[in-house]
Amino acid sequence: MNTKTLQFKTFDDITLWNNLKDGNEKSFSILFEKYYGDLVNYGNSLSPYAEKVQDCVQDVFTDIWVYRNGLQSSVVVKAYLLSSVRKRIARLHERDHIFRKATSTDSIAFLLEFSVEHELIDDDYATKEKVVHLNKLLNDLPARQKEALYLRYHQGLTVEQIADMLDVNYQSASNLLHRGLLTLRKEWKGSISLIILLSSTAC
Amino acid sequence: MQKRNKYTEIEDFLSDESFQSWILFKIDEDGWEEWTLENRQRAKLVEDARLLLLAMKVPDSTLSASDIHSALQNTWIKIEEKENLNDSVEDSKVKFFKKYFIRGVAAALVFGLASVWFYENHFGPESKVVTYKELIDENSEGLVEQTNNSDKPQIITLSDGSSVLLQPNSKLSYPKIFTGNERKVYLSGEGFFEISKNPKKPFFVYANEIVTKVVGTSFRVKAYSDQPDVEVLVRTGKVKVRSNDLVAKSDQEEVVLLPNQALRFVRSELSFNKITNITQDQALTRNVGNIEQLSFEFTDIPVSQIFETIEQAYLVDIDYPKNKLKDCHLTTSLSDQPLTEKLKIVCNSIGNNTSFEMNGNQIIITSEGCN
Repeated sequence: MNTKTLQFKTFDDITLWNNLKDGNEKSFSILFEKYYGDLVNYGNSLSPYAEKVQDCVQDVFTDIWVYRNGLQSSVVVKAYLLSSVRKRIARLHERDHIFRKATSTDSIAFLLEFSVEHELIDDDYATKEKVVHLNKLLNDLPARQKEALYLRYHQGLTVEQIADMLDVNYQSASNLLHRGLLTLRKEWKGSISLIILLSSTAC
Repeated sequence: MQKRNKYTEIEDFLSDESFQSWILFKIDEDGWEEWTLENRQRAKLVEDARLLLLAMKVPDSTLSASDIHSALQNTWIKIEEKENLNDSVEDSKVKFFKKYFIRGVAAALVFGLASVWFYENHFGPESKVVTYKELIDENSEGLVEQTNNSDKPQIITLSDGSSVLLQPNSKLSYPKIFTGNERKVYLSGEGFFEISKNPKKPFFVYANEIVTKVVGTSFRVKAYSDQPDVEVLVRTGKVKVRSNDLVAKSDQEEVVLLPNQALRFVRSELSFNKITNITQDQALTRNVGNIEQLSFEFTDIPVSQIFETIEQAYLVDIDYPKNKLKDCHLTTSLSDQPLTEKLKIVCNSIGNNTSFEMNGNQIIITSEGCN
Protein backbone atom coordinates (compact mmCIF):
# COMPACT_ATOMS: atom_id res chain seq x y z
CA MET A 1 0.00 0.00 0.00
CA ASN A 2 1.32 3.37 -0.93
CA THR A 3 0.60 6.12 1.48
CA LYS A 4 2.03 9.55 1.17
CA THR A 5 1.58 12.48 3.43
CA LEU A 6 1.81 15.69 1.61
CA GLN A 7 -0.15 18.08 3.68
CA PHE A 8 2.40 20.16 5.52
CA LYS A 9 5.68 19.37 3.91
CA THR A 10 5.42 21.94 1.16
CA PHE A 11 6.01 24.94 3.41
CA ASP A 12 8.58 25.39 6.10
CA ASP A 13 7.69 27.06 9.36
CA ILE A 14 9.54 30.28 8.87
CA THR A 15 7.97 30.94 5.47
CA LEU A 16 4.53 30.33 6.98
CA TRP A 17 5.40 32.54 9.93
CA ASN A 18 6.43 35.45 7.73
CA ASN A 19 3.38 35.03 5.50
CA LEU A 20 1.28 35.07 8.64
CA LYS A 21 2.95 38.33 9.67
CA ASP A 22 1.88 39.75 6.31
CA GLY A 23 -1.72 38.83 7.06
CA ASN A 24 -1.96 35.51 5.24
CA GLU A 25 -4.80 33.59 6.88
CA LYS A 26 -3.99 30.31 5.18
CA SER A 27 -0.51 30.26 6.68
CA PHE A 28 -1.99 30.95 10.07
CA SER A 29 -4.38 28.04 9.65
CA ILE A 30 -1.65 25.68 8.49
CA LEU A 31 0.53 26.49 11.49
CA PHE A 32 -2.46 26.14 13.76
CA GLU A 33 -3.37 22.73 12.41
CA LYS A 34 0.23 21.61 12.45
CA TYR A 35 0.96 22.46 16.08
CA TYR A 36 -2.35 22.60 17.90
CA GLY A 37 -2.37 18.94 18.97
CA ASP A 38 1.22 19.04 20.16
CA LEU A 39 0.70 22.23 22.13
CA VAL A 40 -2.43 20.89 23.80
CA ASN A 41 -0.49 17.77 24.77
CA TYR A 42 2.29 19.84 26.26
CA GLY A 43 -0.20 22.10 28.01
CA ASN A 44 -1.93 19.09 29.51
CA SER A 45 1.34 18.01 31.03
CA LEU A 46 1.47 21.33 32.88
CA SER A 47 -2.11 21.65 34.01
CA PRO A 48 -4.74 19.13 35.01
CA TYR A 49 -7.54 21.29 33.56
CA ALA A 50 -7.86 20.03 29.99
CA GLU A 51 -10.61 22.49 29.12
CA LYS A 52 -8.54 25.49 30.14
CA VAL A 53 -5.49 24.23 28.33
CA GLN A 54 -7.29 24.30 24.98
CA ASP A 55 -8.45 27.79 25.79
CA CYS A 56 -4.89 28.87 26.55
CA VAL A 57 -3.54 27.45 23.32
CA GLN A 58 -6.27 29.19 21.33
CA ASP A 59 -5.52 32.44 23.13
CA VAL A 60 -1.87 32.12 22.20
CA PHE A 61 -2.85 31.84 18.54
CA THR A 62 -5.38 34.66 18.87
CA ASP A 63 -2.69 37.00 20.16
CA ILE A 64 -0.28 35.94 17.45
CA TRP A 65 -2.80 36.96 14.80
CA VAL A 66 -4.08 40.12 16.45
CA TYR A 67 -0.58 41.39 17.25
CA ARG A 68 1.09 39.91 14.18
CA ASN A 69 2.64 43.24 13.21
CA GLY A 70 4.81 43.17 16.31
CA LEU A 71 6.11 39.63 15.85
CA GLN A 72 9.78 39.02 15.28
CA SER A 73 10.60 37.61 11.90
CA SER A 74 13.38 35.24 12.89
CA VAL A 75 12.07 32.81 15.45
CA VAL A 76 12.03 29.07 15.83
CA VAL A 77 8.29 28.77 15.50
CA LYS A 78 7.83 25.61 17.51
CA ALA A 79 9.97 26.83 20.42
CA TYR A 80 8.13 30.15 20.39
CA LEU A 81 4.74 28.43 20.50
CA LEU A 82 5.70 25.99 23.27
CA SER A 83 7.16 28.79 25.33
CA SER A 84 4.07 30.99 24.83
CA VAL A 85 1.81 28.17 25.95
CA ARG A 86 3.94 27.62 29.04
CA LYS A 87 3.85 31.30 30.00
CA ARG A 88 0.14 31.48 29.42
CA ILE A 89 -0.55 28.50 31.65
CA ALA A 90 1.76 29.91 34.33
CA ARG A 91 -0.19 33.15 34.22
CA LEU A 92 -3.45 31.28 34.47
CA HIS A 93 -2.17 29.51 37.56
CA GLU A 94 -1.20 32.82 39.08
CA ARG A 95 -4.69 34.15 38.61
CA ASP A 96 -6.48 31.08 39.82
CA HIS A 97 -7.17 30.96 43.52
CA ILE A 98 -6.52 27.27 43.64
CA PHE A 99 -2.96 28.03 42.75
CA ARG A 100 -2.47 30.91 45.09
CA LYS A 101 0.76 29.48 46.41
CA ALA A 102 2.28 28.90 43.04
CA THR A 103 3.25 32.26 41.66
CA SER A 104 6.16 31.98 39.25
CA THR A 105 6.84 30.18 36.01
CA ASP A 106 9.25 27.92 37.88
CA SER A 107 6.65 26.54 40.11
CA ILE A 108 4.34 25.01 37.55
CA ALA A 109 5.07 21.35 37.66
CA PHE A 110 5.48 18.98 34.78
CA LEU A 111 2.88 16.34 35.45
CA LEU A 112 3.36 14.02 32.53
CA GLU A 113 4.14 10.37 33.21
CA PHE A 114 6.23 8.64 30.58
CA SER A 115 4.86 5.29 29.55
CA VAL A 116 6.30 2.20 27.89
CA GLU A 117 6.02 1.49 24.16
CA HIS A 118 4.82 -2.05 24.72
CA GLU A 119 3.84 -2.79 21.15
CA LEU A 120 7.28 -1.92 19.90
CA ILE A 121 9.23 -4.26 22.12
CA ASP A 122 9.60 -7.48 20.25
CA ASP A 123 12.55 -8.61 22.36
CA ASP A 124 12.85 -11.22 25.04
CA TYR A 125 11.35 -10.97 28.49
CA ALA A 126 14.51 -9.62 30.13
CA THR A 127 14.62 -6.63 27.80
CA LYS A 128 10.99 -5.86 28.50
CA GLU A 129 11.73 -5.90 32.20
CA LYS A 130 14.60 -3.52 31.58
CA VAL A 131 12.44 -1.03 29.75
CA VAL A 132 9.82 -1.12 32.48
CA HIS A 133 12.53 -0.51 35.04
CA LEU A 134 13.96 2.38 33.01
CA ASN A 135 10.52 3.84 32.71
CA LYS A 136 10.12 3.84 36.45
CA LEU A 137 13.50 5.54 36.90
CA LEU A 138 12.51 8.19 34.37
CA ASN A 139 9.25 8.91 36.10
CA ASP A 140 11.01 9.23 39.43
CA LEU A 141 13.17 12.08 38.16
CA PRO A 142 12.40 15.60 39.40
CA ALA A 143 9.70 17.34 37.34
CA ARG A 144 12.08 19.88 35.81
CA GLN A 145 14.47 17.20 34.62
CA LYS A 146 11.58 15.32 33.09
CA GLU A 147 10.33 18.43 31.37
CA ALA A 148 13.79 19.15 29.98
CA LEU A 149 14.02 15.61 28.62
CA TYR A 150 10.56 15.92 27.10
CA LEU A 151 11.36 19.20 25.40
CA ARG A 152 14.70 17.93 24.14
CA TYR A 153 13.70 14.53 22.84
CA HIS A 154 10.00 14.78 22.10
CA GLN A 155 9.76 18.34 20.89
CA GLY A 156 13.27 18.47 19.46
CA LEU A 157 14.26 21.77 21.06
CA THR A 158 17.91 22.69 21.44
CA VAL A 159 19.52 23.19 24.82
CA GLU A 160 19.47 26.99 24.27
CA GLN A 161 15.76 26.96 23.54
CA ILE A 162 15.09 24.89 26.64
CA ALA A 163 17.15 27.27 28.77
CA ASP A 164 15.10 30.13 27.37
CA MET A 165 11.82 28.43 28.08
CA LEU A 166 12.58 27.33 31.59
CA ASP A 167 14.15 30.70 32.30
CA VAL A 168 17.56 29.36 33.31
CA ASN A 169 21.01 29.77 31.77
CA TYR A 170 22.51 27.41 29.23
CA GLN A 171 24.61 25.53 31.74
CA SER A 172 21.68 24.87 34.05
CA ALA A 173 19.54 23.57 31.21
CA SER A 174 22.34 21.36 30.05
CA ASN A 175 22.74 20.11 33.62
CA LEU A 176 19.05 19.36 33.87
CA LEU A 177 19.28 17.13 30.84
CA HIS A 178 22.56 15.59 31.78
CA ARG A 179 21.73 14.90 35.38
CA GLY A 180 18.57 13.16 34.32
CA LEU A 181 20.38 10.79 32.04
CA LEU A 182 23.29 10.38 34.44
CA THR A 183 21.05 9.13 37.21
CA LEU A 184 19.54 6.64 34.84
CA ARG A 185 22.83 5.42 33.55
CA LYS A 186 24.23 4.83 37.00
CA GLU A 187 21.25 2.76 37.96
CA TRP A 188 21.13 0.68 34.89
CA LYS A 189 24.58 0.50 33.37
CA GLY A 190 25.95 -2.57 35.08
CA SER A 191 23.08 -4.88 34.47
CA ILE A 192 22.13 -3.83 31.00
CA SER A 193 25.53 -4.10 29.33
CA LEU A 194 25.59 -7.80 29.86
CA ILE A 195 22.35 -8.31 28.01
CA ILE A 196 23.51 -6.16 25.12
CA LEU A 197 26.72 -8.11 24.82
CA LEU A 198 24.85 -11.38 24.71
CA SER A 199 22.31 -10.23 22.17
CA SER A 200 24.88 -8.66 19.88
CA THR A 201 26.99 -11.80 19.72
CA ALA A 202 23.87 -13.72 18.83
CA CYS A 203 23.25 -11.54 15.76
CA MET B 1 24.07 10.85 7.61
CA GLN B 2 27.85 11.18 8.05
CA LYS B 3 27.42 12.88 11.40
CA ARG B 4 26.27 9.72 13.12
CA ASN B 5 29.72 8.21 12.74
CA LYS B 6 30.83 10.72 15.35
CA TYR B 7 28.12 9.90 17.87
CA THR B 8 29.61 8.92 21.22
CA GLU B 9 26.76 9.52 23.66
CA ILE B 10 23.26 8.18 24.04
CA GLU B 11 22.05 11.77 23.86
CA ASP B 12 23.35 12.07 20.30
CA PHE B 13 21.08 9.28 19.22
CA LEU B 14 18.06 10.35 21.22
CA SER B 15 17.92 13.73 19.52
CA ASP B 16 18.40 12.33 16.02
CA GLU B 17 15.06 12.43 14.22
CA SER B 18 15.98 9.73 11.77
CA PHE B 19 17.00 7.48 14.65
CA GLN B 20 13.75 8.24 16.46
CA SER B 21 11.67 7.33 13.47
CA TRP B 22 13.58 4.06 13.09
CA ILE B 23 12.88 3.06 16.68
CA LEU B 24 9.39 4.45 17.15
CA PHE B 25 7.89 4.08 13.70
CA LYS B 26 10.13 1.36 12.30
CA ILE B 27 10.95 3.51 9.32
CA ASP B 28 14.59 2.88 8.57
CA GLU B 29 15.32 5.33 5.77
CA ASP B 30 18.99 5.72 6.50
CA GLY B 31 20.01 2.10 6.98
CA TRP B 32 20.37 2.27 10.76
CA GLU B 33 20.11 -1.46 11.14
CA GLU B 34 23.07 -2.17 8.92
CA TRP B 35 25.08 0.72 10.32
CA THR B 36 24.52 -0.51 13.85
CA LEU B 37 25.81 -3.97 13.09
CA GLU B 38 29.07 -2.66 11.67
CA ASN B 39 30.58 -2.15 15.08
CA ARG B 40 30.00 -3.76 18.44
CA GLN B 41 30.72 -0.71 20.56
CA ARG B 42 28.22 1.16 18.46
CA ALA B 43 25.61 -1.58 18.78
CA LYS B 44 25.73 -1.22 22.53
CA LEU B 45 25.17 2.53 22.45
CA VAL B 46 22.35 2.14 19.98
CA GLU B 47 20.64 -0.47 22.10
CA ASP B 48 20.88 1.73 25.21
CA ALA B 49 19.38 4.64 23.32
CA ARG B 50 16.68 2.41 21.94
CA LEU B 51 15.58 1.12 25.33
CA LEU B 52 15.52 4.63 26.71
CA LEU B 53 13.32 5.84 23.88
CA LEU B 54 10.98 2.92 24.40
CA ALA B 55 10.67 3.79 28.08
CA MET B 56 9.89 7.45 27.36
CA LYS B 57 6.63 7.22 25.49
CA VAL B 58 4.30 10.19 25.76
CA PRO B 59 0.58 9.93 25.09
CA ASP B 60 -0.47 10.54 21.51
CA SER B 61 -2.69 13.46 20.76
CA THR B 62 -6.28 12.52 21.35
CA LEU B 63 -7.58 15.30 19.15
CA SER B 64 -9.18 14.34 15.86
CA ALA B 65 -8.90 16.39 12.70
CA SER B 66 -12.38 17.74 13.30
CA ASP B 67 -11.51 18.72 16.90
CA ILE B 68 -8.62 20.73 15.56
CA HIS B 69 -10.79 22.20 12.85
CA SER B 70 -13.39 23.41 15.32
CA ALA B 71 -10.64 24.75 17.59
CA LEU B 72 -9.41 26.77 14.64
CA GLN B 73 -12.89 28.15 13.96
CA ASN B 74 -13.22 29.01 17.60
CA THR B 75 -9.91 30.84 17.45
CA TRP B 76 -11.08 32.92 14.50
CA ILE B 77 -14.12 33.91 16.53
CA LYS B 78 -11.87 34.89 19.44
CA ILE B 79 -9.75 36.91 17.03
CA GLU B 80 -12.79 38.70 15.70
CA GLU B 81 -13.96 39.53 19.21
CA LYS B 82 -10.54 40.79 20.20
CA GLU B 83 -10.18 42.87 17.06
CA ASN B 84 -13.60 44.41 17.58
CA LEU B 85 -12.68 45.17 21.17
CA ASN B 86 -9.43 46.85 20.13
CA ASP B 87 -11.27 48.78 17.44
CA SER B 88 -13.84 50.12 19.83
CA VAL B 89 -11.12 51.28 22.22
CA GLU B 90 -9.57 53.19 19.34
CA ASP B 91 -12.95 54.47 18.25
CA SER B 92 -13.58 56.09 21.56
CA LYS B 93 -10.23 57.83 21.42
CA VAL B 94 -11.07 59.17 18.00
CA LYS B 95 -14.47 60.36 19.20
CA PHE B 96 -12.90 62.27 22.05
CA PHE B 97 -10.62 64.03 19.63
CA LYS B 98 -13.39 64.65 17.15
CA LYS B 99 -15.63 66.24 19.71
CA TYR B 100 -13.26 69.14 20.15
CA PHE B 101 -12.04 69.32 16.62
CA ILE B 102 -15.46 69.25 15.09
CA ARG B 103 -16.74 72.32 16.91
CA GLY B 104 -14.13 74.37 15.11
CA VAL B 105 -14.94 73.26 11.66
CA ALA B 106 -18.66 72.64 12.04
CA ALA B 107 -19.68 76.07 10.94
CA ALA B 108 -17.59 75.90 7.81
CA LEU B 109 -19.12 72.57 6.91
CA VAL B 110 -22.75 73.47 7.26
CA PHE B 111 -22.97 75.16 3.94
CA GLY B 112 -21.05 72.45 2.16
CA LEU B 113 -23.17 69.67 3.58
CA ALA B 114 -26.36 71.45 2.76
CA SER B 115 -25.44 71.71 -0.88
CA VAL B 116 -24.38 68.06 -1.05
CA TRP B 117 -27.70 67.09 0.49
CA PHE B 118 -29.55 69.17 -2.03
CA TYR B 119 -27.63 67.58 -4.90
CA GLU B 120 -28.05 64.03 -3.66
CA ASN B 121 -31.76 64.39 -3.23
CA HIS B 122 -32.53 66.17 -6.42
CA PHE B 123 -30.06 64.84 -8.91
CA GLY B 124 -28.98 61.54 -7.35
CA PRO B 125 -29.61 58.12 -8.87
CA GLU B 126 -33.28 57.37 -9.32
CA SER B 127 -33.31 53.82 -8.08
CA LYS B 128 -31.02 52.21 -5.58
CA VAL B 129 -31.19 48.77 -7.10
CA VAL B 130 -28.11 47.80 -9.02
CA THR B 131 -28.20 45.15 -11.66
CA TYR B 132 -25.56 43.03 -13.29
CA LYS B 133 -25.84 45.05 -16.48
CA GLU B 134 -25.08 48.32 -14.74
CA LEU B 135 -22.09 46.77 -13.03
CA ILE B 136 -20.68 45.49 -16.29
CA ASP B 137 -21.24 48.81 -18.02
CA GLU B 138 -19.31 50.51 -15.24
CA ASN B 139 -16.33 48.27 -15.78
CA SER B 140 -16.35 47.12 -19.34
CA GLU B 141 -12.60 46.84 -19.91
CA GLY B 142 -12.16 43.58 -21.76
CA LEU B 143 -14.35 41.25 -19.72
CA VAL B 144 -15.18 37.72 -20.77
CA GLU B 145 -18.75 36.66 -20.04
CA GLN B 146 -19.79 33.09 -19.44
CA THR B 147 -23.46 32.17 -19.20
CA ASN B 148 -24.76 28.87 -17.94
CA ASN B 149 -27.96 28.07 -19.82
CA SER B 150 -27.76 24.34 -19.13
CA ASP B 151 -29.46 22.59 -16.25
CA LYS B 152 -26.23 21.57 -14.54
CA PRO B 153 -23.60 23.64 -12.74
CA GLN B 154 -20.61 24.61 -14.87
CA ILE B 155 -17.01 24.92 -13.79
CA ILE B 156 -15.02 28.02 -14.71
CA THR B 157 -11.31 28.30 -14.04
CA LEU B 158 -9.96 31.84 -13.79
CA SER B 159 -6.49 33.00 -14.77
CA ASP B 160 -5.27 32.99 -11.16
CA GLY B 161 -6.27 29.34 -10.65
CA SER B 162 -9.44 30.13 -8.73
CA SER B 163 -12.49 28.11 -9.63
CA VAL B 164 -16.13 29.07 -9.82
CA LEU B 165 -18.96 26.58 -9.99
CA LEU B 166 -21.61 28.54 -11.86
CA GLN B 167 -25.19 27.44 -11.28
CA PRO B 168 -27.84 27.22 -14.05
CA ASN B 169 -29.33 30.53 -15.24
CA SER B 170 -26.31 32.43 -13.98
CA LYS B 171 -23.69 34.62 -15.58
CA LEU B 172 -20.14 35.51 -14.63
CA SER B 173 -18.02 38.26 -16.16
CA TYR B 174 -14.31 38.26 -15.55
CA PRO B 175 -11.13 39.51 -17.17
CA LYS B 176 -9.25 36.98 -19.26
CA ILE B 177 -6.18 37.76 -17.19
CA PHE B 178 -6.23 39.58 -13.87
CA THR B 179 -4.05 42.67 -13.94
CA GLY B 180 -3.41 45.33 -11.34
CA ASN B 181 -3.69 44.95 -7.59
CA GLU B 182 -7.22 43.60 -7.47
CA ARG B 183 -9.12 40.70 -8.88
CA LYS B 184 -12.70 41.65 -9.74
CA VAL B 185 -15.49 39.52 -11.15
CA TYR B 186 -19.19 40.21 -11.67
CA LEU B 187 -21.91 37.73 -10.93
CA SER B 188 -25.55 37.46 -11.78
CA GLY B 189 -27.22 34.39 -10.30
CA GLU B 190 -25.43 31.91 -8.11
CA GLY B 191 -21.88 30.64 -7.90
CA PHE B 192 -19.63 28.75 -5.51
CA PHE B 193 -16.20 30.35 -5.39
CA GLU B 194 -12.90 28.78 -4.40
CA ILE B 195 -10.30 31.47 -4.48
CA SER B 196 -6.57 30.88 -4.74
CA LYS B 197 -4.72 32.67 -1.96
CA ASN B 198 -3.02 35.92 -2.76
CA PRO B 199 -3.04 38.51 0.02
CA LYS B 200 -1.46 41.08 -2.27
CA LYS B 201 -4.34 40.84 -4.73
CA PRO B 202 -7.67 40.67 -2.93
CA PHE B 203 -10.55 39.11 -4.81
CA PHE B 204 -13.87 40.97 -5.20
CA VAL B 205 -17.19 39.55 -6.28
CA TYR B 206 -19.63 42.22 -7.37
CA ALA B 207 -23.17 40.94 -7.22
CA ASN B 208 -26.17 43.24 -7.39
CA GLU B 209 -25.76 45.79 -4.62
CA ILE B 210 -23.06 44.05 -2.62
CA VAL B 211 -19.36 43.51 -2.88
CA THR B 212 -17.69 40.49 -1.29
CA LYS B 213 -13.98 40.74 -0.58
CA VAL B 214 -11.65 37.85 0.13
CA VAL B 215 -8.02 36.93 -0.15
CA GLY B 216 -8.50 33.19 -0.46
CA THR B 217 -11.32 31.03 0.72
CA SER B 218 -14.47 29.33 -0.47
CA PHE B 219 -17.96 30.72 -0.35
CA ARG B 220 -21.24 30.94 -2.23
CA VAL B 221 -22.89 34.05 -3.58
CA LYS B 222 -26.49 34.03 -4.71
CA ALA B 223 -27.61 37.18 -6.46
CA TYR B 224 -30.39 36.75 -9.00
CA SER B 225 -31.51 40.09 -10.32
CA ASP B 226 -35.18 39.14 -9.98
CA GLN B 227 -34.98 38.05 -6.35
CA PRO B 228 -35.44 40.31 -3.35
CA ASP B 229 -32.34 39.15 -1.45
CA VAL B 230 -28.66 38.64 -2.08
CA GLU B 231 -27.01 35.86 -0.10
CA VAL B 232 -23.41 35.09 0.78
CA LEU B 233 -22.50 31.88 2.59
CA VAL B 234 -18.96 31.12 3.73
CA ARG B 235 -17.45 27.64 3.82
CA THR B 236 -13.81 28.26 4.68
CA GLY B 237 -11.66 31.27 5.49
CA LYS B 238 -13.02 34.72 6.13
CA VAL B 239 -14.76 37.18 3.84
CA LYS B 240 -15.86 40.79 4.15
CA VAL B 241 -19.05 42.05 2.59
CA ARG B 242 -20.05 45.65 2.02
CA SER B 243 -22.57 47.35 -0.17
CA ASN B 244 -21.57 48.64 -3.56
CA ASP B 245 -20.45 52.30 -3.75
CA LEU B 246 -23.21 52.82 -6.28
CA VAL B 247 -25.83 52.46 -3.56
CA ALA B 248 -24.08 53.03 -0.29
CA LYS B 249 -23.63 56.05 1.86
CA SER B 250 -20.02 56.89 2.66
CA ASP B 251 -20.03 55.42 6.16
CA GLN B 252 -21.02 52.02 4.88
CA GLU B 253 -20.68 49.10 7.17
CA GLU B 254 -18.53 46.13 6.39
CA VAL B 255 -19.69 42.74 7.62
CA VAL B 256 -17.16 40.05 8.43
CA LEU B 257 -18.22 36.46 7.81
CA LEU B 258 -16.52 33.38 9.19
CA PRO B 259 -16.98 29.76 8.08
CA ASN B 260 -20.58 28.58 8.17
CA GLN B 261 -21.87 32.07 8.63
CA ALA B 262 -24.05 33.70 6.07
CA LEU B 263 -25.47 37.05 5.23
CA ARG B 264 -28.68 38.12 3.58
CA PHE B 265 -28.89 41.53 2.01
CA VAL B 266 -32.41 42.83 1.69
CA ARG B 267 -32.32 44.80 -1.52
CA SER B 268 -35.32 46.98 -0.95
CA GLU B 269 -34.03 48.19 2.42
CA LEU B 270 -30.32 48.07 1.66
CA SER B 271 -29.83 46.30 4.96
CA PHE B 272 -27.59 43.42 6.01
CA ASN B 273 -28.78 40.50 8.11
CA LYS B 274 -25.99 38.37 9.44
CA ILE B 275 -26.92 34.72 10.01
CA THR B 276 -24.58 33.02 12.44
CA ASN B 277 -26.40 29.73 12.64
CA ILE B 278 -27.04 28.63 9.09
CA THR B 279 -28.60 25.34 10.10
CA GLN B 280 -31.59 27.22 11.41
CA ASP B 281 -32.17 29.05 8.19
CA GLN B 282 -34.22 26.82 5.94
CA ALA B 283 -33.86 28.88 2.83
CA LEU B 284 -30.08 28.65 3.03
CA THR B 285 -29.71 24.98 3.85
CA ARG B 286 -32.27 23.83 1.32
CA ASN B 287 -30.09 24.56 -1.66
CA VAL B 288 -26.67 23.60 -0.42
CA GLY B 289 -24.81 22.23 -3.41
CA ASN B 290 -22.91 18.99 -3.75
CA ILE B 291 -19.56 20.65 -3.41
CA GLU B 292 -20.39 22.15 -0.05
CA GLN B 293 -21.42 18.84 1.44
CA LEU B 294 -18.48 16.77 0.30
CA SER B 295 -15.46 16.39 2.52
CA PHE B 296 -12.06 16.89 0.96
CA GLU B 297 -10.10 15.57 3.92
CA PHE B 298 -8.64 12.24 2.84
CA THR B 299 -6.80 9.81 5.08
CA ASP B 300 -5.31 6.85 3.30
CA ILE B 301 -8.01 6.85 0.63
CA PRO B 302 -7.72 5.17 -2.79
CA VAL B 303 -6.99 7.69 -5.54
CA SER B 304 -10.00 6.45 -7.50
CA GLN B 305 -12.27 7.53 -4.68
CA ILE B 306 -10.65 10.96 -4.49
CA PHE B 307 -11.23 11.43 -8.23
CA GLU B 308 -14.83 10.36 -7.79
CA THR B 309 -15.34 12.97 -5.09
CA ILE B 310 -13.87 15.65 -7.34
CA GLU B 311 -16.10 14.50 -10.22
CA GLN B 312 -19.18 14.82 -8.06
CA ALA B 313 -18.22 18.17 -6.63
CA TYR B 314 -17.37 19.94 -9.87
CA LEU B 315 -19.45 17.87 -12.28
CA VAL B 316 -16.44 17.04 -14.38
CA ASP B 317 -15.26 13.80 -15.98
CA ILE B 318 -11.89 12.52 -14.94
CA ASP B 319 -10.13 10.00 -17.12
CA TYR B 320 -7.20 8.24 -15.47
CA PRO B 321 -5.22 5.01 -15.89
CA LYS B 322 -7.30 2.88 -13.55
CA ASN B 323 -4.99 -0.13 -13.51
CA LYS B 324 -1.82 1.80 -12.87
CA LEU B 325 -3.37 3.72 -10.00
CA LYS B 326 -5.42 0.95 -8.43
CA ASP B 327 -3.11 0.46 -5.44
CA CYS B 328 -2.46 4.11 -4.73
CA HIS B 329 -3.68 5.64 -1.50
CA LEU B 330 -3.29 9.23 -0.41
CA THR B 331 -3.53 11.19 2.77
CA THR B 332 -4.16 14.81 1.99
CA SER B 333 -6.33 17.81 2.69
CA LEU B 334 -7.87 19.42 -0.38
CA SER B 335 -10.42 21.64 1.32
CA ASP B 336 -10.21 25.30 0.52
CA GLN B 337 -8.34 24.65 -2.74
CA PRO B 338 -9.63 25.56 -6.18
CA LEU B 339 -10.12 22.72 -8.67
CA THR B 340 -6.80 23.10 -10.51
CA GLU B 341 -4.98 23.31 -7.18
CA LYS B 342 -6.68 20.11 -6.01
CA LEU B 343 -5.63 18.31 -9.18
CA LYS B 344 -2.09 19.62 -8.88
CA ILE B 345 -1.79 18.37 -5.31
CA VAL B 346 -3.17 14.94 -6.13
CA CYS B 347 -0.85 14.59 -9.15
CA ASN B 348 2.20 15.72 -7.20
CA SER B 349 1.52 13.30 -4.42
CA ILE B 350 1.01 10.37 -6.76
CA GLY B 351 4.39 11.29 -8.24
CA ASN B 352 5.99 9.40 -11.17
CA ASN B 353 5.43 12.11 -13.77
CA THR B 354 1.74 12.32 -13.08
CA SER B 355 0.11 15.28 -14.78
CA PHE B 356 -3.31 16.52 -15.76
CA GLU B 357 -4.89 18.28 -18.67
CA MET B 358 -8.14 20.17 -18.52
CA ASN B 359 -10.47 20.79 -21.38
CA GLY B 360 -13.79 22.29 -20.34
CA ASN B 361 -15.25 19.72 -18.01
CA GLN B 362 -13.01 16.91 -19.29
CA ILE B 363 -9.94 16.15 -17.24
CA ILE B 364 -7.31 13.69 -18.37
CA ILE B 365 -4.73 12.34 -15.94
CA THR B 366 -1.56 10.72 -17.24
CA SER B 367 0.43 8.62 -14.82
CA GLU B 368 2.82 5.73 -14.56
CA GLY B 369 1.45 4.65 -11.18
CA CYS B 370 2.48 5.82 -7.74
CA ASN B 371 5.83 5.63 -5.98
